[in-house]
Amino acid sequence: MPSVNAQIKRGSAELAVLTLLAGQPLHGYEIAKQIEAQTGGVLRFDMASLYPMLHRLERKSWVKAEWQTLPNGRRRRCYRLTASGRKQIAPLRAQWRAFFRALQRVTGFQNA
Amino acid sequence: MPDWKQIVRKNLRVLGVCSPEFTEELAAHLEDSYEAFLREGLPAEVAFQHTMGQIEGRRRVWLVMRFLQEELMTGFIRKVALPGLLTSVAAGFFYWALALDHTPPKLIWLVGGQLPLWWWCLLPICGALGALLSQRNRGSRLQRIAASLLPSWVMGTFILLMFAVGFTFSGLVNHYWSLSDRLESMGLVPPGFVIIPAAFSLLGAGIAEVSTKKSAA
Repeated sequence: MPSVNAQIKRGSAELAVLTLLAGQPLHGYEIAKQIEAQTGGVLRFDMASLYPMLHRLERKSWVKAEWQTLPNGRRRRCYRLTASGRKQIAPLRAQWRAFFRALQRVTGFQNA
Repeated sequence: MPDWKQIVRKNLRVLGVCSPEFTEELAAHLEDSYEAFLREGLPAEVAFQHTMGQIEGRRRVWLVMRFLQEELMTGFIRKVALPGLLTSVAAGFFYWALALDHTPPKLIWLVGGQLPLWWWCLLPICGALGALLSQRNRGSRLQRIAASLLPSWVMGTFILLMFAVGFTFSGLVNHYWSLSDRLESMGLVPPGFVIIPAAFSLLGAGIAEVSTKKSAA
């Protein structure tokens, strides 16, 4: 699997997390695992990249974190998308679409 | 089952970055990760090593640095830059006032150079000012320290540039400044205007921290 440049990963991470949380609230480990699974391992978050980003999104009020007790009795800090966070998804998608279109024009690369 | 909270506390407690809530969150992540490795069929010892690999060595340093960076940059202007700027102005004012006041001894002389002894003695006031202003703006401990050290950081950068440009320029246009002069100035200026002032400012920030805690108690 080709590795993706760190800068690109960082830029795409917020969109990936927000999109994932639009589906359902998740805790950190689930977010990391789901993104890894859905991208076939191309996007992989370690703790050093995931949690600072989640806390940054929380400070921006794009996500809200709440402690929840799971059926097995364990407490997990679950992140839920806020209305403000939901509004960010469309502009971020538009930015990435514009970026990929520009890249296509330069490189002649076509989506499969 | 390993005590993940204890492990996180032990590995990542730096400058109070790891709050109890965050410790619990990271411990939960490690716990889930460890159990996933066990489900994959790894022996407990190997699963533990794989899990620990996420917070050990280079990854541990990276994790701590990312959190310090995040913490420092949150509300940077209000919590670090503005208090730091006022601290710099105060330090600059004291230096100017002492230079204006010809009451000796305001300098100590050392191997041909001069070091601003009395200025150093006033710097704890500046450091405390920076820390208190940052605290007033709800700055974290790291941000309070950064605000009190901002003048030294700015001075350090300025001196570094000054040396780089100055040495290159003087090397091109004249040869009066001997190598020993250069080495002497390099040995005096950075400690005298960066390192020692930083220590005195930090002392002031520490005093402010302790006195605030005492008054709160």
